[in-house]
Amino acid sequence: MSIRPFIFRIAALILCVSLGLMLFRGIAALPVPEKVIGPAGHYLARTAGETGARNVVGAILFDYRAFDTLGESTVIFTAVCGIAMLFSRRKFHRSSRGLSFIAKRGIGIMVPFLLMYASVIILFGHLSPGGGFQGGTIFATVTVLLCVVYGSSFESQYFPPRTKDILESGGALLFSGIGLIGLAAGTGFLSNIAAGFPAGTFGSFLSAGSVPILNVAVGMKVGAGLSTIFYSMIKMLDAENDHIEGGRPR
Amino acid sequence: MSLSFMIFLYVFLIATALVISAINDILSAVITLSVFGILLATAFAILQAPDVALTQAVINSGIVTALFLVAFSQTEKPECYSEEEEE
Repeated sequence: MSIRPFIFRIAALILCVSLGLMLFRGIAALPVPEKVIGPAGHYLARTAGETGARNVVGAILFDYRAFDTLGESTVIFTAVCGIAMLFSRRKFHRSSRGLSFIAKRGIGIMVPFLLMYASVIILFGHLSPGGGFQGGTIFATVTVLLCVVYGSSFESQYFPPRTKDILESGGALLFSGIGLIGLAAGTGFLSNIAAGFPAGTFGSFLSAGSVPILNVAVGMKVGAGLSTIFYSMIKMLDAENDHIEGGRPR
Repeated sequence: MSLSFMIFLYVFLIATALVISAINDILSAVITLSVFGILLATAFAILQAPDVALTQAVINSGIVTALFLVAFSQTEKPECYSEEEEE
């Protein structure tokens, strides 16, 4: 029990508090803007006319800054490739039998509603908060629940890794293909209304041109990718720690 | 939103963040991180950023907790963390 860690902690505390005070004073010193200017003003004023999407954040993500979104999903794709490669040494795998009957039935009742919620978040991404990324992550959470509660062999029986691979690559291909349509129309990569996608009625389900399609593509990619990461990690865990003879738990 | 609720939220955010960084038990830290994520998502929703709130809630309390728990159960656990940390 030396005194040095204690002194370090006190110094770190003083540093954090003074930095926070400086940031707080900076916030207080900012002038309150009279009106929104710059790109933000443009987005707020023109999004409805230029893209037809009601969710401005979704319009920015999948129309104005769609190329950035392509880069972000490529980051996830690369991470999934790396993790799957890292954990793919062990070929065989045994699955746990899962939790108790009560947990299985409870999750069984919940899962359809979770899937519906994820689908709504993806499909209504251009109208309400949400979008492909969030909905895809909820899909991945459903597969995580199935892995934990029913055992990973049950999960891989219903969502085979092969299907996840196809879904993820298909999402990437769909995203790039939509972008290439814009390129073929001569209006630039991933352009939306200018490339001839129908804008539809503002606020209706079928509107905003390519934004819903890109939402679905990103949802496929993110959901399959995150679920692949979790599955490859828990597969190794099951193979190492569980000595129950596997097989399919009903 | 009432001021007292905001104060409650921010005090608990700071408290959970301090617990995450200071606690020795990794499992408790992971679970506290999930609580921190939910509180932060509530704060984002109150500050009228529902997209960010949704992302925060789903990522932090869903996927990150699950991945951290799997990583925790795959790593070796020393007998007691505290004595090693003091050195």
